[in-house]
Amino acid sequence: MNLIRAFVIVPYFFLATLPLAWLALTSFKTYNDTISVNAKFVPWSARVDSEESLKFEPTLDAYRNLSKPVAGTPKDFYHYLGNSVVIGLLSTLAAVSLGTLCAYGFSRFQLPGSKDWLFFILSTRFLPPLAVVVPVVVMYRWFSLENTHAGLILLYTSFNLSLAVWLMKGFVDEMPRAFEEAALVDGYTRVQAFVRVIVPQAATGMAVTAVFCLISSWNEFGFAMTLNNYEAKTVPVYFAGLQGNIDGVPWPQIASGMIIFVAPIVLFTILVRNHLLKGVTFGTIKQ
Amino acid sequence: MNVFPLVYNIYLSFTNADLSSSAVQNIGTRNYALVFAEGRYADALTTTALFVVLSVAIELVLGYVLALALRGHIPGKPAVLTILLIPMMLCPVVLSLFWNLILNGHYGILNQLLGFCALPQPQWLTDDDLKLVSILLVDVWMWTPFMMLVSLAALNAIPKYIYEAAEIDRASRWMVFRTITLPMSAPLLGLAVLLRGTDALKQFDLVMAITGPNDTTTQTLSARIYQVVFRNYKVGLGSAYGVVILVAVIAVATISVRYIDSLNRRQGKAATS
Repeated sequence: MNLIRAFVIVPYFFLATLPLAWLALTSFKTYNDTISVNAKFVPWSARVDSEESLKFEPTLDAYRNLSKPVAGTPKDFYHYLGNSVVIGLLSTLAAVSLGTLCAYGFSRFQLPGSKDWLFFILSTRFLPPLAVVVPVVVMYRWFSLENTHAGLILLYTSFNLSLAVWLMKGFVDEMPRAFEEAALVDGYTRVQAFVRVIVPQAATGMAVTAVFCLISSWNEFGFAMTLNNYEAKTVPVYFAGLQGNIDGVPWPQIASGMIIFVAPIVLFTILVRNHLLKGVTFGTIKQ
Repeated sequence: MNVFPLVYNIYLSFTNADLSSSAVQNIGTRNYALVFAEGRYADALTTTALFVVLSVAIELVLGYVLALALRGHIPGKPAVLTILLIPMMLCPVVLSLFWNLILNGHYGILNQLLGFCALPQPQWLTDDDLKLVSILLVDVWMWTPFMMLVSLAALNAIPKYIYEAAEIDRASRWMVFRTITLPMSAPLLGLAVLLRGTDALKQFDLVMAITGPNDTTTQTLSARIYQVVFRNYKVGLGSAYGVVILVAVIAVATISVRYIDSLNRRQGKAATS
């Protein structure tokens, strides 16, 4: 039985991690090594002369070249990374603060039709970006929000809010009411009780929620692609635009840029590993 | 912010609005007639349906088998699990762009490995019959961990005493699987299928990254809208497409939330009883 299990897990593990390992290797190659018909697997410290060899000489050139714009793009990689960081962080901040407040309301007060509201909030998450993007584009033209950071921040905030409300409601539901009730008896107002009692207790939950919101705006492509052709272009849109580049797809720069782009997400995934199930199912599965 | 686009979408779908001109005229249901009469629409619909069914089915089976294999004690399990879960957290469009290098027919590593094993080396990205397979492959790589994660949660929630009772009754392994493990993990698997299904209905990122929005063999509904609105500037027609998808998604989403609701109630009952 254990043998069968090993036969399932070990091959899958290698197949699943191979693309990421290949991405990491590619980021240390020269352009010719990335598109060699003799795949280069082994980093070798010395110069490799043979074309057929599996070895290649690793180089950091691709990482150095990230600060130079690729042919056909006006700015370098870090400019677009900056856009992603600003948009990701601000929309996360807004979604988590609003989401925590909403979740507190839903968790502690009996609101008429609160269940319907909650499910309406969740259902907005199911909408395909491309099906609603047309009115958003037209609306953004009226308010000149097209091609701005603010436009994407607003949009990501509203889409992440559903995730934030659902996750935070799960966390707030688990917190005992006794402490805030004690605070209220001691003469705190609702607002003070929320700030001094709820927020400190919910800190872990807010951090976890923030990570999931950040990841979803960091990875978003549909809206970023259709609302931003120029000013506030995020990294996914930048990479997509490098396809069909006139000098050939710059694979080493793409790979090194991708490594820098996904590294924080890998780190965050490891940090929130115990909450992954909650995060990807909107907290609908309770463990 | 969430409601206005929906309403405005419906209005636009009855007009001839165009991104390149500002004159808007009401043209009644002509857009809808076009949507349903056009061959491309039926193609996009079939492609999307095929993609949703195949990707969700493959990911579910693979994820469930993995979860069964990973069940119980395995040395280094937390680390292995975390590593396996990483792909689903990464940016789909970015990673699938890199898959273009892996799948390339001439210098891609996949074909080189296949060649090394003396297997045929198909043109993954240019052969019309294989383009959708390539997109499925990337999607399966990315989302099988999701199914695995939910399956593991479902398996772990089955109380041990039921298995102990089955052991006393000398039930065979197959019997235990068929009458205990599978039915008891089914509700959560249903939830996973619904969540993945609604996600797969939106499929846009992988198509854009791997074959582009205009490729007829892989054009999903989202890619079709992109082409109509942002390449041909037909906002009105695009909105009509949008409304059709919305109806489908809202139907699936309503089923999902009802399902989630009933699961929660069941869980709540189990917790109080």
